[in-house]
Order: sequence, then structure tokens, then C-alpha cells
Amino acid sequence: MRWPRLAWLLLLLPLVPWTQTRIDRSLGGFRAQEEVLYLWSGDQVRRLAPGFEGLMADVYWLRTVQYFGGQRVFATEKRFDLLEPLIDITVTLDPRFEIAYRYGASFLAEPWPIGAGKPESAVSLLERGVRNLPRSWLLQQHLGFYAYFFLRDPRRAADALLAARKLPGAPPWLETMAADFLAKGGERQTARKMWARLYEQQEEGPLKRNALNQLQRLDALDAADALERFTAEFRRRRGRWPDSFQELGQAGLLPFPPVDPTGVPFQYDPQGGKVEIARESALWRHPGPLGSGLR
Amino acid sequence: MGSARLSRVQAVAANTFRETIREKVLYNLVFFAVLMTLSGLLLNPLSIRQDEKIIKDVGLASIELFGTLIALFMGVSLVSKEIERRSLYPLLAKPVSRGEFLLGKFAGLAFTLLVNVTVMTLGLYATLWATRRGAGPELLQAVLAIYLGLLLVVALALLFSTLTSSALALVLSVCVVVVGRFADVIRNMREVAPGVPAWATQVLYYALPNLRNFDLKTRVVYGDPVLSSDLGWIGVYAASYVAIVLGLAFAAFRSKDLQ
Repeated sequence: MRWPRLAWLLLLLPLVPWTQTRIDRSLGGFRAQEEVLYLWSGDQVRRLAPGFEGLMADVYWLRTVQYFGGQRVFATEKRFDLLEPLIDITVTLDPRFEIAYRYGASFLAEPWPIGAGKPESAVSLLERGVRNLPRSWLLQQHLGFYAYFFLRDPRRAADALLAARKLPGAPPWLETMAADFLAKGGERQTARKMWARLYEQQEEGPLKRNALNQLQRLDALDAADALERFTAEFRRRRGRWPDSFQELGQAGLLPFPPVDPTGVPFQYDPQGGKVEIARESALWRHPGPLGSGLR
Repeated sequence: MGSARLSRVQAVAANTFRETIREKVLYNLVFFAVLMTLSGLLLNPLSIRQDEKIIKDVGLASIELFGTLIALFMGVSLVSKEIERRSLYPLLAKPVSRGEFLLGKFAGLAFTLLVNVTVMTLGLYATLWATRRGAGPELLQAVLAIYLGLLLVVALALLFSTLTSSALALVLSVCVVVVGRFADVIRNMREVAPGVPAWATQVLYYALPNLRNFDLKTRVVYGDPVLSSDLGWIGVYAASYVAIVLGLAFAAFRSKDLQ
């Protein structure tokens, strides 16, 4: 190739990344929402790649993780429409992909914007996992925890934990936890115990971070309750709600800073004295009918 | 087999091996190396602690996929290309029988595949070792099964290569390999098409090569035990099927008019 031609080629080379930058700027850097899931069932994928189901399951799992992470971190309008079919394809291709059940359930169960806000689907996924991996006490334990925390079904939760206890390698505290579920179904202290166990069990990664987030959220809910008691005391003394946390402090009724464990100030409603986790906080959950966990 | 006959088969095999090297078949090892390196570097953060499983899946699937491609593309040209290039005639004028020629061709490509599979297996172990993941000898069971399956593909490609041109042989070989991977569908065909006679599905199921037999990847990756007897039966299946296919290839090649 002669030098002038080579020079032209070199001049043209930067055109590709430059054009890509323009396209990204115009259409958005992360366009996963626009992607189409061409194959909606694991059986279809299985038929297209006989003998390579394991590899295809890995590919779909990587895609699930990227899709979930991409939506959670980059997308402004966080939507998780493809999450359920992606996980379904993954576990259809490889029914023994344990981590896909555990992490997939977490992705599905957590309320928006942390997750897809589909706790029923998460529990169904874990039940499917339990059927496919009947000797995994960890999956049974997750099933129990999710039934308790996200579906508020202590009977179902306790049954799952007792079934888990019968499996080899299961820790003895599962029985105690099952009793706690039945005795104090719906209480925050039981939830704290549950998430603390999950936090201890999990390897470093999203599930451990999620357990920590849940523990911090429970602390934040306790702190918000305490602050509401102080605003009620203020009202009892002055006959009205405080205008702000500052006024509450001036009245000597603010023993700790009104921020949640992530450092984000609580949201205060001076009309009704209500204290809530702020929407900007990583601990905030959408107050839907299901999936918001304990309040 | 007499020693003279064996040395003639060896000579054809060695020549076939050299030819595949000249065709730059081993370049696939570079792709494999890049794939394994990327898997080792990228999968840990992307897969959420499933990198060991995925590295094994990717490694074993690559060994099978690259091997199958080589077996198909090189296998179909083993005889037909020699005929099309007219290089077969001076060779058969020498004291080499058609049977020895075919057997040598098969052995040569089988050896090329053995080198390929061995190097890729070492690469897989190296990646697992470099990423500090467990890599026991059980992976070798899956690799052995893959290799036996590849020998069957070579035999099929060789058979079609003796019957027709390279292009048509490739089409036929790919069809048989794909159908062989759908053996379970053939067996259960009557569930979706009840009108098909039971004997027809039985004949098809047993006559076509069942390439699913050679798929131990998932079992090995999950650490399920693979009994020696299982591997033994897979070996017997491969040996008998290869023998039958090579026998057919000999018959076809012997009766072929090369004038």
C-alpha cells in the first residue's frame, strides 16, 4: 500500500469512534431497554444449541447480570422487563445453576428501584430451584426468607426452613428461625436476624451488599420511628407539629442527627409529623402493595 | 496388519498431518488462547462468582466447537480434494492400497485433532490454574468423550468425501452432525408427530450417530461422577460406529472409478 493511501486510512480510523460517540450522545449510552429478546424461552435456545446448553446458560446469565446492573446503575427510567425471561432462559438451559436462582430471586424480589419488585416471581423461581436442586438447603433457606420477608407468609416460610433443616449441612439455627417466623410473623427484629444471617453467609458481592442494605434500611426505619416519637412529643408540648428537624433540635428533642445510615437526611412532613426515608437514599423502596418488605 | 502396511498408513497419516499444518489449522489455537485469557480476566466481575463454571463451560465448548469445525472442514476435503487436484493418482500408483490411503487420511486428521485438543485442554487447565480455580482430572473425562465424538465426525466427513465433491460432502456432513445432536428429538418424535410409525423412529434413532453420547460437559463441570464403565461404553460406541463408517467409506472408495 502506498503512503498516501495509508495516510488516508489512518485519517479515516478516528471516524469510527467519533461517529459512535455521536450516536451514543443522541440515543443514550445505555440502550438495553431497546434490546429485544429474540428468543423468549429456554427450550427454544436449547433446540438451537444442542450440546451447548451449559455454555448458553452462562451467556444468558452474563446477560442477566449485565442487564440488571445496567438498569440499576445507568438507566434513568429503571425498568426490568427482560429480567424474568432472561433468568427463566438461564435456569431452563441449566436447571442446576444454583447462583442464578439465588441472585435471580434477589434481583426479582427487591422492590423498585433496587430490583424488579416481583416477589411472587422470586419465590416461584426459588421453588423451581428447590425442585431442581432438592439437596440444596441454601435454596430452601432463601425460599423461607423470601416468603417471610417479601410475601409476609410466615407459615410458608417456616415450612421451607424446616425442610431446609432436614438437608445435609444445614445449620441448626434454621429451626429457631422458623419458630421466630411463626411466633412473631411480621416483626422487624426477626427480619433483622434474617438479614444478619444472610449477610454472614454470603460471599462478597451483590447479595452481601443487599443484605447490608436491608440491615441499614431496618436501622433507618427504627430511627424514623424514633424521630416520629420525638415529633409527637413536640406536638404534645406545643400543640403543633415541628416545622423542621431544626426546630425539633432547638426544643431539645433531637438526640441524634436526622440522617439514615447512608448519610441521607430523612424526609419530614410537617403537616402530619411523619418521618420517612428520603427518595434519594439508597435505602428507599417504592411503597407498593408487595415487595416493599417490612415497614 | 503387517509392518509394511502399517508404515504405509503411517506415511499417509504423517503427510495428512503436515498438510493440515500447512492449511494453518492450528491457528484456531490462537483464538482459543485469546478466548481463555479473556475468560480468565473478565468473567470474575461479570459472572458473580461463577467464573470457574463459566471458564470450564467455555473451555470445553470451545474444544468441541473448534474440533468439530476442523473435523468437518478438513475431513470433507480429505479424499475429494485429492481427486479434484488429481494428486490422488500418482499416490495410488505407488504401492499404497485404497484402504491404506483412507486409513492413513483418517489417522492423520485424528492426530491433528489430538494435538489440537491436547493443547486446548492444557490451555483450559492453565487458565483455571492462573485464576486459582479448581481443576481436577475429571475434566479429562469430558475431553476424552469430546475427542471420541470428533473421531466419529471425521469418519463421517471422510465417508462423504469419498462419495461426492467437497462442497456437497460438507453439506451432508453438517446435516448428519446436526441431526446427531438432536438424537433425543428423534427418539421422542412420536410425542409431537404421533403419525410417524414407531419402527421408523427406532430405526432412525439407532442408525444415525448419537452425538449426545459424547456430551459429558455439564456432568463434569458440576462434579458429577462419570463411571469408567460409562466412558468405556462411549468408547465402544465410537469405535464400532467409526469402524462401520470407515468400512462403508472403504467400500465406496474401492468401487469408485478413478479413471
